[in-house]
Amino acid sequence: MKYHSQSFFYDDPWAIVSLAYFLRYPNPYASHIISCDVISRSVSPSGNLHTTRLILKRGSLPRWAPKGIISRAESWSTHWEKTLRCTTKNLEFTKVMKMEESVFIRQTEEGKTIQTTEARVFSGFGWGLTKRIESHGLNRFKAHVQRSREGVSVILNLIRESRLQLHPMTLGGDPNVTVRSNEDSDDKTARKAQNGTWARMKGWFSNSKG
Amino acid sequence: MAESLAHECTPLKKEYDSCFNAWFEGYLEPAVSASSSRDRYSEYSQRKAEEFQQKCGKIWEEYRGCVHKALKEKGLDAMIQQSREENPLVQPPPLP
Repeated sequence: MKYHSQSFFYDDPWAIVSLAYFLRYPNPYASHIISCDVISRSVSPSGNLHTTRLILKRGSLPRWAPKGIISRAESWSTHWEKTLRCTTKNLEFTKVMKMEESVFIRQTEEGKTIQTTEARVFSGFGWGLTKRIESHGLNRFKAHVQRSREGVSVILNLIRESRLQLHPMTLGGDPNVTVRSNEDSDDKTARKAQNGTWARMKGWFSNSKG
Repeated sequence: MAESLAHECTPLKKEYDSCFNAWFEGYLEPAVSASSSRDRYSEYSQRKAEEFQQKCGKIWEEYRGCVHKALKEKGLDAMIQQSREENPLVQPPPLP
């Protein structure tokens, strides 16, 4: 089995990075993603939100493997310690190679966010190919991590920009605009959500989709 | 957001995504302040879950039904089931 781990920081707080990570498809660096569906979602008794998604990607297998569509399953949960954990694994060709990628997004003490990505690659293929398959899998992962981070950064910028537009007061705008507080009633939250970041981003996505 | 694996499910997915994402955004921000205590967080999450059920429960059932039907038709449900048995992604992985 081969293992690799990498960490990097974002200047933004945990909530916005988690949102960006969750909304990362589609983005310009992920043109190989075909579809993304939620298969199950639940709230655990301890209050953690748990989601499983199925992602289909256009084939990115090594040259000597058949081309085709690869599926990956992704499962992630938000945790009360301001942690988002996301585990992704491949569903096909598991007899050749099993790869599991785990992403942890946590808040740091200074109010920034740290993302740690781990990968475990295992092959039980034998025939003298095990090492080569595992190395290949790990190299693909390393190349992919940077792209994935850039994709998340694109979404992060979109979210940040759309929030600045919603709160012009932060740029010295209309002083009559109320700043959101944590004691919002449900009505206010619903209205805010309708005009919120996601609603605005939807417009961009539908405009940019060719 | 990205498409659904089945063409006919995409409009349902988009409607569900809109509903969920709007709710999720409202969930994430206050969750940060509610996370000061485990009990408060748990109670907060349960309350938010009920709110989600009221707002998005119906479209979730429709979308989920469509996806699971498409998974069966494409023969993917067997693959997912087998994957779950081999290595269920049920427990969140330990923090590094």
